[in-house]
Amino acid sequence: MKAKKLISLLAATALLVSTLAGCGNSGSGTAAQQPADAGTTTTTTSSDSGSTDTAAAADSGDAMEIEVYDAAANYQGLQTGWFDKVVKDRFNIALNIISPQVAGDAIYQTRTSSGNLGDIVLLDSVDFADCVKAGLIKDISADLPNYSNLNAFADQISTYNSGLEGNNGEVYGIPTQMLNTSPTSYSQDVIYSSPLLRWDLYSELGCPDIADLDGLIDVLGQMQEAHPTNDAGDPCYAVSLWPDWDGNDNMLGIANVVQLTTWYGEKLKDSAILKADGKTFTPVTDKSAAYYKILKFLYKMNQAGLVDPDSGTQDWNAACAKMSAGQVYMFWYSWQVGFWNSQERLDNGTAMIFIPVADQNYYADADAYYGSGRVFGIGSGVDDAKYKKILEFLDWYASPEGLEFQHCGIKGFNYEVGDDGKYVAINDNALMDNLPVPEEYGGAGYSDGNNQINEWIVSSNAINPNTGETYAKDYWSSWKESTRTQMKKDWAAKFGADEPAEWMKKNNKLVISPNVTVPLGSDTNEIGTIRSQCNTTLCDYSWRMIFATSDAEFDAMWDEMTATLDGEGYQDLYKFDCEKWQPQVDAKNALK
Amino acid sequence: MSRKKIRGYREFLYVLPFLILVAVFAYYPLYGWIYAFYDYKPPALLSDSQFVGLKWFTFMLDTEIKRKQIWQVLLNTFGISGLSMLFSWFPMMFAVFLNEIKCEPYKKFVQTVTTLPNFISWVLVFAIAFCVFNTTGVVNSLLMDLGLIKTPIAFLKSNEHIWFKMWLWLTWKNAGWAAIMYIAAITGIDEELIDAAKVDGANRWKTIWHITIPSILPTYLVLLFLNMANFLSNGMEQFYVFQNSFNKDYIQVLDLYVYNVAYEGGSYPLATAIGVLKSVVSIVLLCVMNGISKLTRGENFI
Repeated sequence: MKAKKLISLLAATALLVSTLAGCGNSGSGTAAQQPADAGTTTTTTSSDSGSTDTAAAADSGDAMEIEVYDAAANYQGLQTGWFDKVVKDRFNIALNIISPQVAGDAIYQTRTSSGNLGDIVLLDSVDFADCVKAGLIKDISADLPNYSNLNAFADQISTYNSGLEGNNGEVYGIPTQMLNTSPTSYSQDVIYSSPLLRWDLYSELGCPDIADLDGLIDVLGQMQEAHPTNDAGDPCYAVSLWPDWDGNDNMLGIANVVQLTTWYGEKLKDSAILKADGKTFTPVTDKSAAYYKILKFLYKMNQAGLVDPDSGTQDWNAACAKMSAGQVYMFWYSWQVGFWNSQERLDNGTAMIFIPVADQNYYADADAYYGSGRVFGIGSGVDDAKYKKILEFLDWYASPEGLEFQHCGIKGFNYEVGDDGKYVAINDNALMDNLPVPEEYGGAGYSDGNNQINEWIVSSNAINPNTGETYAKDYWSSWKESTRTQMKKDWAAKFGADEPAEWMKKNNKLVISPNVTVPLGSDTNEIGTIRSQCNTTLCDYSWRMIFATSDAEFDAMWDEMTATLDGEGYQDLYKFDCEKWQPQVDAKNALK
Repeated sequence: MSRKKIRGYREFLYVLPFLILVAVFAYYPLYGWIYAFYDYKPPALLSDSQFVGLKWFTFMLDTEIKRKQIWQVLLNTFGISGLSMLFSWFPMMFAVFLNEIKCEPYKKFVQTVTTLPNFISWVLVFAIAFCVFNTTGVVNSLLMDLGLIKTPIAFLKSNEHIWFKMWLWLTWKNAGWAAIMYIAAITGIDEELIDAAKVDGANRWKTIWHITIPSILPTYLVLLFLNMANFLSNGMEQFYVFQNSFNKDYIQVLDLYVYNVAYEGGSYPLATAIGVLKSVVSIVLLCVMNGISKLTRGENFI
């Protein structure tokens, strides 16, 4: 009898203990639940830095683990491969990347409410200001002057920090992609978004002049008609869209559409469109503004059968696969060419290149003198040893040696030093084809081991003191030489300029928006809610409008959408956003 | 202290762990409702947030459009749950027919094949759906090769009969698993009843109709009532993976709506307020069901 009692008592205790153990994690609040898709992250996110240290020590020898909360990363987990080796050899630290893009935005809420976002923090400036206010970021003003590579940007860093609310000379953030040129110049050859077409298909049609968007549809229609499939026999489309980034980067609506509004010099600032004059705002629901125009353009494209029917339901990876397979005839992001243009294709003329449309007027952000908008910071919870390590690392990250690894790659693998001391690129397909790196850098694929932080303190267009040229290989004299192919020569002959940006400047088709650093107000809870609801409505309707079956349906949807948006509080949001962005617009106009 | 009292305490101790379990997992989370009454926004703490009373409840319903949206979400929830309720006899009939298969290996094969999908997550189900039904998927390729269609059909983008399609996916995934209970119930039927029916000249149909189905009907009713309890929680994973801009209006059920508002929009107070609304609707539903039960069976179930 006694044994039985004992067993039941034990069972009861065990149950009790297991219940209490269960509430250890749920105790931190109902608001801090993890989304289902963050499953892979639970082990690292819920534990504090103390326990992860020990976990990492077992993983990677005695290297100190640094948690990097990284809004720019497309990868989550410990940095691996050659970049890990480079960092570990110098600082004996292992970078553990925490990516809201991978884990879902809820991870931001979870980590901030736990009071420790990360050891190194990389955030968009509005979030960064919130975190400074909440005491999550460390003041580094006392130590910054001791780190010469960071201090080289003292002007930009102090301009940024003095804009933070209630700041008295503290330094919290280090802007990203800074450049020591000037805030109004534009020194790149291509701009972020412009119509890019396949040169071989375009010249096959006899290089017709394109007057407007209808002309563009016409040309793309002829291309698709002549080449309905790629070499592998898969169907080709003029455009293939993806919904993954909708509402990102301070722009309401379908990411692919808002990007195309820059073709008419207009730029979305959240729910408002800044017109080409750079001064006046108009609601995104304005029928005379570019959002409507571009949506109508894509709708007409779809009517002509030029839009990939999977657009809107496929994800980014599926869209990438199509770009790499040559199933898409028009690109619009400058980096998209990375999925198609190779040295070989530049040689044989099948590469993508900018083709002007006569009535367009392209918007471009000026050189990022004050940085691109994201900000690095150090978590307020780090101990002294870690703090010193992080500063050393960040200083190296902004040093010529660090920048060469970030922007140029590995010496002897990605580039060689020529007789004149300037660099010559080799293995330029390393990233595309994930080539194995030399053994001394740990083998493994180049792309796999690439720097997963995916954001840089100094822009790749900065001048490398070792060569006197930019870090980005696109502007090396050796690279320019080798890419001056027949195709580029033909292009230059036809349009009378060497590079797209040069053509735009010459023909007065470039609207340069000066680079400024102005802190932006963060949303109140109510505005934030209205914003996300309006964004969902705008995106959902926009997608349906692209696939509308008739003009009447298209217009009916637009009106319905406008009414729905108003019912969700769009007018309040628009008013808020105009006030939010006005200081930035004023600052830009003051520089012009 | 009397022996009886001591025994009372001891027995209370036996049940205590379960009481704690209920308190921690059923009542403690109710504390989270507090977020619905504050202007809470991370990274600020709740203690730094302003108390706003019922602001978020009025915010949820303050314009015609928003009321319409919430109504549509409720309609979707009721529609989809109602549909699966309406077809809840399907697994039972499946079990009955499965039981009639006389070839044992074939029967085992069918049972295994239909049970397996239950163990696949919805994410993988969608991956399969995408491979089969996207514009370059198996179905479209087949139809194009046969010359039946000229342009691919975007199945996943259409919102026609979406509730029914969702029910089909759910059934494909769950029917085999749900049938297990009925198969167990069928094995429990007294063989003598069936033998007696055969002697009386009943054919197979008549045996099914007069013996098998009446015998497992109580099981069916119990499961039906259990399902009723989940009427509003018809799961969000399925709809989360299948939702896109084209079908969202008709696929967004309450749980998914709460998720979309909280995690995509980052608005915890509003999401909590909607969660509270869900509980209120649940209680109303429960009372209605209880009333029905009282009317039809003469007894309460709460």
